[in-house]
Amino acid sequence: MTTLWPVAMITFKEGIRNKSVIGIFLFSLFLLCTNFFMAGMALIDIGKIAVDIALSTVSLAGLLLVLFVGINLMSKDLDKRTIYMVLSRPISRSQYIVGRFMGMVLIIVFALLIVSILAVLSIILIKAGHGNENIRFSWSVVILALFFIMLSNILLSALSFLFSSFVSTSFITLLLTVISYIIGQSMQDIRSLIATSQTSGIEISQVSTKIVQVAFYLFPNLSLFDIKLQAAHGNPVPSSYLFWTTFYGVVYICLVITASALLFRKKEFP
Amino acid sequence: MRRVLLTILLIALASLQIIAVRKATFERKALPEGDATAYLIPSKLAKVTMLEFDGIAADFLFAKALVFIGSTKERTEIPRVKPWEWKWFNELSNTITDLDPYFVDPYYFANAYLTWEGGMVQEANDLLKKGSRYREWDPYLPFFVGFNYFYFDRDNGKASEWLMTAARRPGANTLYANLAARLAYEGKRTENAIVFLEELLSRTDDEELQQRYKVRLEALQGIYALENAAITYKQKFHKKPRSVDDLIRTGLIKEIPQDPYGGTFYMDARGIIKSTSNLMLSPQKKD
Repeated sequence: MTTLWPVAMITFKEGIRNKSVIGIFLFSLFLLCTNFFMAGMALIDIGKIAVDIALSTVSLAGLLLVLFVGINLMSKDLDKRTIYMVLSRPISRSQYIVGRFMGMVLIIVFALLIVSILAVLSIILIKAGHGNENIRFSWSVVILALFFIMLSNILLSALSFLFSSFVSTSFITLLLTVISYIIGQSMQDIRSLIATSQTSGIEISQVSTKIVQVAFYLFPNLSLFDIKLQAAHGNPVPSSYLFWTTFYGVVYICLVITASALLFRKKEFP
Repeated sequence: MRRVLLTILLIALASLQIIAVRKATFERKALPEGDATAYLIPSKLAKVTMLEFDGIAADFLFAKALVFIGSTKERTEIPRVKPWEWKWFNELSNTITDLDPYFVDPYYFANAYLTWEGGMVQEANDLLKKGSRYREWDPYLPFFVGFNYFYFDRDNGKASEWLMTAARRPGANTLYANLAARLAYEGKRTENAIVFLEELLSRTDDEELQQRYKVRLEALQGIYALENAAITYKQKFHKKPRSVDDLIRTGLIKEIPQDPYGGTFYMDARGIIKSTSNLMLSPQKKD
């Protein structure tokens, strides 16, 4: 732990200083401002639209953070050859990966916490401005949704670490991460489409069904972490769901980071 | 010197840019283009492609529906909205509510326009029934289904069933159960319609809809007054009145109520109160 902490702290400072962070922050601020217009447009379900936009903003900010700050962090050491300097210190390659990842987790938690506070503020303001009885979302589910957004972004970031541990350029890492994100988000819907293919009259070949089955266990099921609709309508989320989804997220993150530590040990630097 | 030249060039280019963009936009308008209402992503595809942003996608599509209806209000031709546009509007509402089936606004909005203007009562009811299935706590969606069956389809049996569904939900107006029971009997159509409309009026914030309900309510209240007078006439003189003038002559009513749709109330051969406007706004009055 004593060797991990300095790496994590350096990574955190390095990441927060990145100019993209400010860009992402301003972008989120802009989106949250549109919330006031969009929510004003609704006739009845004002709370729903306010929560939708607020949570989607946090989600999008996290995604941009992982894709443009996280991937950069890892690749910079490799591109600029500073990795030789780091590894000449008394620190193993796996410790380096885990330390870096911990720093990235700190960045995600810190940045998303700020955006979340602003998002919650926008909901409070809209709610106060309209103050009618039709706003029926629940704060506890909104907080839970924010927690899940954070977890799913940490998971995606872990995946990007895995890719960068065996891919040579950051562009390929970016592509692979984006693809994993899209697969992870649409998996649930595609699975249910296949399940109801008979009733809806779409023909799906055996091969595609098998591919989806394999992908289901290989790629992270990110849509599990998406409870924005539940939050927006105040639909209850059972504690068993909360437990198993959090458990799944933590296990998957540990799995991916262990795999990337293993792969990184074998990696040859140019 | 060079700096001055460059600055002049910059200003010249900037003004040229403004002219160019205006010209190009103008030319673009003449390009044959697909209408915005001509296409729609099927909801199954939309649900998958919107990834985790299906909630916000529903919000934006709903904004699109609002803008579409708003834009038709500037049209002068009659009918304002073409049948195929109503079809598209219905499909759009279906896509929105497939993306987020709990979102209540599209149900209200689609119901208000599909029934009164679009003449797609069946489609509006299908949409409301979907919403009622998901929003199982909400008494208003089944109430609307009940109203549509009663008012547009004249199916009191089904209307009564849906009103009972509405009455059983939490927070439902106690009037629903009452209405449901009354609908089981035939007759009293005008009176029931008035009760229904008063409830609808209290439930809407949309000014245009409020106005539409108010006009219809006023017309129905006029008819109701005449019907009541006719009943009293029959009890008093043991025969049916032949025209509304009979009612005035005998002093049962002071004057014939105004038809807010611009017509005149009269009594047909079977003694039923009607209006020359057929309770529809005439095109002249609409403008």
